[in-house]
Amino acid sequence: MKTKDRLKLATELFLFFFKIGFFTFGGGWSIIAEMEKEFVEKKKIFSSEELLDIWSIAKSLPGIAIINVCLIFGYQLGGILCGIAAVFGIVLPSAIILSLVTMFYSLIKDNGYVERAMTGVRAAVVPIILSAALSLSKKAFSDWFTYAVAFLAFFLCAFTDVSNVAVILIGALTGLLMMEVKTRAVA
Amino acid sequence: MLLLKLYIVFLKIGFTSFGGMSMIPVINSEMVKHGFMTSSEVTDIVAIAEMTPGSLGINCATFAGMRVAGIPGEIFATLGVLTPTFTLCVLAAIFFKKMKNNRYMGHAMYAIRPATIGLILSAVFVLGRSAYFPHASFAPTSLLIGLISLYLLMRHKLSIPKVIGCAALLGLLIC
Repeated sequence: MKTKDRLKLATELFLFFFKIGFFTFGGGWSIIAEMEKEFVEKKKIFSSEELLDIWSIAKSLPGIAIINVCLIFGYQLGGILCGIAAVFGIVLPSAIILSLVTMFYSLIKDNGYVERAMTGVRAAVVPIILSAALSLSKKAFSDWFTYAVAFLAFFLCAFTDVSNVAVILIGALTGLLMMEVKTRAVA
Repeated sequence: MLLLKLYIVFLKIGFTSFGGMSMIPVINSEMVKHGFMTSSEVTDIVAIAEMTPGSLGINCATFAGMRVAGIPGEIFATLGVLTPTFTLCVLAAIFFKKMKNNRYMGHAMYAIRPATIGLILSAVFVLGRSAYFPHASFAPTSLLIGLISLYLLMRHKLSIPKVIGCAALLGLLIC
């Protein structure tokens, strides 16, 4: 990729993540839905498997998962410059909004209108994340084993204290083992 | 010196956190220990982080940094919490790109992908429980807003910002 194209891509990524950065409610989970819509469905420059892979790696590293996702994603598309552009794109909106909130902290803190609007937003974040999970799951499930893994991961994460990292690592190990068993069975 | 301290404290928070609410205990003890925030302010910032876009880590860094040392404080604290991304995560990105067509990587990914779907669904479950059943009581209006949002998303393919806007408006009207 030429330097000029790289700069153009970095600018595009910065603007895209800056735009969606204003709507990352629910701990950032909803941006996976935005990324799926924009890069998998619309632009078709990324597959849903690749997006899931990035997500799983980002979740198993320390730091803020959503920002790790942006970095790896940008890096995949156009190297380190694009990765950094994506990170600053996603960070700036929340930094700007939080700065304003900090300044008007006492006004916002116990405001009934804000509270009610946010109750609505929290109610909407759930189906947004659900829709992302549904679109992404098309490529993740191939046989009964993958369904079992998803169910186990869901159970561990929702009802026990097992960390995300451990869940991803267990996933990696079972995948390696299962494929080994499969290859042996064929041979 | 204060700026450096802010950077280091948030660097520590960044490296010891693996996402979302698991950060709260670390943030709480670090903020109180260094006198950056009181415990009740930490509770407030968690609520604020819920109501504003962005992740808890960034929101907390912005809030604490700004209160302690203004805009420069905010920048240093945010850079601290971003440091794991700019170090470990960059290495992982490079490694991942090189390993992409590796056979074993493919084998591992075969189970990691559904596991990740499971993780996302558990976020749906946990967030759904707190949105529709707050304080162990059922909130029918919230569930209604959730169903309307689901309908707008799936049937009308409405964009996410628009869905969030509609939901905020509905919240104002009926909650």
